[in-house]
Amino acid sequence: MINNYKILQILGCLLLLAVVISSCKKHENEYHTIMDKIEAESKNYHGTSISSEIHIGDLKTIEITEGDQTFLIPERKSQIKSYACTECHTKPLDQMQNTTAGKRAHWDIKLNHANEKVMNCISCHDGNNMDNLKSLTGSTIDFNNSYNLCSQCHSKQFEDWKGGAHGKVIASWAPPRASLACVNCHNPHKPHFETRWPARFNTQKVKERE
Amino acid sequence: MSNNSNKWFSLNFSTEKKEATGSCGCGKESGGCGSHTKNIEVEKQKDGFDQVFDVKMSRRTAFKQLTASLMIGAGAVSSSCSVIAGDETKEKAQIDWEEQFKGNYKLMSKEEQKETVSRLVRSYQLRTGKTISMSSKNSEKDVLFGYAFNISKCQGYMDCVSACVKENNQDRNSQMEYIRIHEMKDGKGFNFNEADDNYYHEVPAEGHFYMGTQCFHCDNPPCVDVCPVQATWREEDGLVVIDYDWCIGCRYCMAACPYDGRRFNWSKPEVPEEEVNKNQHYLGNRMRKKGVMEKCTFCIQRSRAGKNPACVEACPTGARIFGNLLDPNSTIRWVLENKKVFRLKEDLGTEPKFWYFMD
Repeated sequence: MINNYKILQILGCLLLLAVVISSCKKHENEYHTIMDKIEAESKNYHGTSISSEIHIGDLKTIEITEGDQTFLIPERKSQIKSYACTECHTKPLDQMQNTTAGKRAHWDIKLNHANEKVMNCISCHDGNNMDNLKSLTGSTIDFNNSYNLCSQCHSKQFEDWKGGAHGKVIASWAPPRASLACVNCHNPHKPHFETRWPARFNTQKVKERE
Repeated sequence: MSNNSNKWFSLNFSTEKKEATGSCGCGKESGGCGSHTKNIEVEKQKDGFDQVFDVKMSRRTAFKQLTASLMIGAGAVSSSCSVIAGDETKEKAQIDWEEQFKGNYKLMSKEEQKETVSRLVRSYQLRTGKTISMSSKNSEKDVLFGYAFNISKCQGYMDCVSACVKENNQDRNSQMEYIRIHEMKDGKGFNFNEADDNYYHEVPAEGHFYMGTQCFHCDNPPCVDVCPVQATWREEDGLVVIDYDWCIGCRYCMAACPYDGRRFNWSKPEVPEEEVNKNQHYLGNRMRKKGVMEKCTFCIQRSRAGKNPACVEACPTGARIFGNLLDPNSTIRWVLENKKVFRLKEDLGTEPKFWYFMD
C-alpha cells in the first residue's frame, strides 16, 4: 500500500516535470520576450558596416557632447542670412536706438513666445554683443549652440532631445547620429505651430464604407 | 534539362546558360518566429523546380498547374520558333518562362536572388523602356529594426501616408495606404471603434489625439504562421516580408494579423509611369500584381541601405523614431529605456517591434 503510494507520488512528480518542460517548449525559442532578446543579442554588438555619412551628404554639421550623448547637429551661423550681426550693428544697441535718422531693423519680427512679462528681445539677445546670444545669467551662448538657450526653460524637452525622443534624426538610423536642433523646426520668435489641413483624404475608403 | 544543377527548365533559345549553385540562401534562424525554424530544415532540399513539381497534389491542382505552365510554354515556344517574332519577344518569353518556374525567394542562393532581380529589371525595361534599379540586399549582422511612435507629438497631418504611398508604389486606383492615422477623442483612450481614420478637417482638432498604425513587424508574427505556402517570413533583421511571386493570395495572413497591417491587391496596382519610384527592392516596393498581399516593410529598400523609412523622414513633428534595437547607443533604445512605452495588444504575445510612448 505504502509502495503503491510512493509510486503514485513519483509518477505525479514526473508528470508535473513533463508538464513544466513541455510548457517551456511552447515558446519555441530561447527568449521569453523581445526585450530579453534585445538585451542578450546587443551584448555582443560590434557596430554595423552601415554608416549615416553618405545619407547626411553635404549638410554642414558640428559635433556636440551633452551629458553622456555625443551627436551631430546642423551648423547654424553659416545659414543665417545676415550673420554676423555686427556687420550692420556697428555700435552698441542703446546708441543706435537714440539716433533719429536710424533705419528700423527687424521690423518684421513679432515676438510670440510665452508673454511680454517673461520674454523680450534681450531675454536671449545681447545688446552689447550682438554676434552671440546670452543666457539668463548673462553668460555668452554661441548661435551654433542655441539649444543651450532653449534648455534653460524647456529642460524636459532638452532631456528628450538629447536621448532622441524629441526632434528628428537626420536621414539615417545608422551611426553617427545627426539630429535637427531646436531652431531647425521651431521659430524661436514664434515657436508654436498653426493648425493645417491633412496631406490627403482617401475617397476610396469613403466609398468602401458606405 | 541539360544541366542538373539548374533549378528551372531552360528552353535555351539564344541566351547563354546561367549557372546556379546549390547552396541555400536562407540564413540562421533565431527570434520569435518558431514556425519557420524547423520547416526550413526539412524543405531545404526541395528548391526551385522541385518545389513546383516534386509535391503531392490532387488531380485538380495538377491540371491547373499543367494548364498554366502549358500556356506559358506554348507562348514561349510559339514566339521562339516564330520567324516573325523579334529578339526582344524571344527574350521576354525566356524571362517569363524562367520567372514562372523560379523557387521561393527565401530559399534562393544569393546568385539566384541576383538572377531573378536582373530578370525583373530586364522585363520592366522590355515592357516600358524604362530602367529601374532593384536591390536584393540581405539583412545586415547586428541589426534588428524597431520603431517608436510618440502619440503626444503626432498632429494628424498625414504627411507620412503621402510619403509612404509615393515611396512604395502603392496602387493609386484603390488608394491603398499602409499607414492609418486614427483620430481619437481625448479621455476615451484607445477606442478604435469610435476613432476616425479618414478625417478631413484642420488638424490637430480640438479635444483629439492622433496615433498611427501600420505593420508592426512582430517578432512572433501570426501572419507568418498561417501562410500555407511560406510566401511571407521574418528576416534576420526583424522585417516581416512577402515574396509577391510566391504569394497565392489566400489572405490567411490578412485574417491572422491582429493589427490590420496587411493589404490585398483586389485589382492590378496602377502607378503612373512618371510617379514610379525606381529605387526598388525585391521584397519591398517593386511593382506588385493583382491578387497578392502587400504591407509596410519599414521601407526595406531604404532601411537596409541605412536610410530612415519614408514616413520617418516625412513626419514634420518628430513623432516617428526608427532605429537599430541592438545598438545600445541608438535613439530607439534610449526611448525604450527612458520613456514609458507600451504596445498594442501586448497580451497576444505577438511581440510587435513598434512601441508607443508619450512625452
